[in-house]
Amino acid sequence: MNQPATSLENRLTWEDVLAAAAHRQGERSFLLRLVQYFCQQNGLGAAALYSKSEQGYERRVTAGAESFPALIREGEEPPFASLSLPEGLLLYRSTVEPAADLEGPLVLALSSTLRAAELQQRLKLQSFAINYRGVELEALYDVGLAIASMLNLDQLGEEILLRAFSLLDARRGALYLRSGERYLLDHTLGGDAREELPLDDPQIEALLSSEKLSDQDLLPGGQYLMAVPIGSNGTPQGLIIVADKESRHGVGPFPDVDRRRLLLFANQVAIALETAHLHRQALEKERLERELDLAAEIQRRLLPTAFPRIEGFEIAGWSRPARHVGGDYYDLLRLPDSRVAAVLADVSGKGLPAALMVSTIHSALRLLLSQTEIGPALVHRLNNHIAESSAPNKFITLLLAALDPKRGEITYVNAGHNPGLLVRPTGEVVELEAGGLPLGLFDNSPYQAGSVKLDPGDLVCIYSDGITEATSLRDEEFGLTRLVELLREVHDRALPEIITTVDGAVTDFAAGQSQGDDQTVVLLRRAA
Amino acid sequence: MTEMLKVTVDRQSPLAVIYTEGYINNQGGEEIARVAYDLIDSDHKILLLNLRGTKIVNSIGISILIEIIEKMLEIEGQLAFCNLTPTIEKTFHIMGLAQYAKIFPDEEVALGELSA
Repeated sequence: MNQPATSLENRLTWEDVLAAAAHRQGERSFLLRLVQYFCQQNGLGAAALYSKSEQGYERRVTAGAESFPALIREGEEPPFASLSLPEGLLLYRSTVEPAADLEGPLVLALSSTLRAAELQQRLKLQSFAINYRGVELEALYDVGLAIASMLNLDQLGEEILLRAFSLLDARRGALYLRSGERYLLDHTLGGDAREELPLDDPQIEALLSSEKLSDQDLLPGGQYLMAVPIGSNGTPQGLIIVADKESRHGVGPFPDVDRRRLLLFANQVAIALETAHLHRQALEKERLERELDLAAEIQRRLLPTAFPRIEGFEIAGWSRPARHVGGDYYDLLRLPDSRVAAVLADVSGKGLPAALMVSTIHSALRLLLSQTEIGPALVHRLNNHIAESSAPNKFITLLLAALDPKRGEITYVNAGHNPGLLVRPTGEVVELEAGGLPLGLFDNSPYQAGSVKLDPGDLVCIYSDGITEATSLRDEEFGLTRLVELLREVHDRALPEIITTVDGAVTDFAAGQSQGDDQTVVLLRRAA
Repeated sequence: MTEMLKVTVDRQSPLAVIYTEGYINNQGGEEIARVAYDLIDSDHKILLLNLRGTKIVNSIGISILIEIIEKMLEIEGQLAFCNLTPTIEKTFHIMGLAQYAKIFPDEEVALGELSA
């Protein structure tokens, strides 16, 4: 670095020189004044004072307008006339030999001040090294906290490299993260790097085993490379590659202590990356849960909140999804001529795809009910619509019934659903089976309708297979028999009480076992 | 980050603001020193180093900044810093730079105090 040279135009007195010694940044100023005074006393045009260093002689101060080299290497011929001093070298420009007596007080003052300055410089360097060790320790300690709290993977990659650079005085480097069977370049600083590396790249293996690479294209232009793995268990999560350790005189290789330092750092990085990955997964899960909550809310709004009131009849319904959103759907709608439609559908599959199909059938059914009588033609059209709009492996079972209160009769179509149950006060049970295949399996599937007369006290129960296929801890199903027996037992109670009883019986039977299917019940009874 | 530090200067005599963008390493530090010594030669005794575009300083860069601080003390001038990242600010405190050079949160605050 070229520090400004000091002019020799102003003449100095010895008192000026001594005054410089009292300056708060005394040693350099004092040295400079001494050299200036030396030049004056000896008629020199310019001079530079050098101190001994590991590389040779380093320039300390310059007096006069001349460009003296910053460093004179050991054994190198000085480009100017020189005077050897006990602790250094004085280069000067003059046509005459300096008259100074090497044993004289001025040269002694120069030597001893240079020595004092050298000791002070060494102390300063040691102090710098100790302080910087503090920075390194702080960096290693701090890095875990800092990068572990930085959960954005993009920011994290840059931060990792910045800190590695700072820790090692690296001039260039790259961070690679593992993706399948290769490492992908995540960030690079100071120059280009290869975009991807196979896990078994021989250059990487050589670098990781501390070998020196003379011909490499990992970091083009980088001379001295060092790489460490991120994470020590099994295949690394990634690699940190740094190149060219800086000093004031250029770049060189990294010493072994730097490899140990970087390995320590990489262990912290592994933990931080793992934390960031887990955080990202948690965010993704949270996002999905929010979507599911929204889908569940939409699906809840598809279910009836109030049931049609019909003189001489009672109607009720209840549904519990196995997950946030389920595949069961039921509806109770008032039709023209005081009739009521009851529908229970069960979409194959669960979760969001099932919820979307529920939404589809809800819309299609409402539209068709406004145009077509409940019967085979309506279900035929519904089937074709579902077959067109759903995935090939998706289907819907459905039981659609119309209650005509005037005639006391139910007309229904059962599209592959569990037969509805007509439970008479006598204990007789009639299954509502007439219909056809589930919706969506085949285009133009044939359907037929069935009808039953409801006498006073007759109870119709339409349910989903989540009720009869609820399993116990012994993997036994609740089954149709238990449901029928239960309905016979409680058929004359209030409908909400019957639902509570069925729910209670199924829940007790499952004994806390998580159920994989939605549970839905629709009840309809003619007043006794 | 580019290989070379980019340095720009806003001269507001007697104060000058030096803006840096990039890595303050050996090369970057030398560039700042060159600019700083030019400013000193043109009689700017108060220098504000705005590190708004710098995220990283290495030990060589710090040693050069210390030399600039020493030079400023020698001419009884003042060097100050602003817009440091938390990591760089902590490093400057540990390395003792903060003892001899003021650190301000931003340029506005720095100019307000240094111009007073």
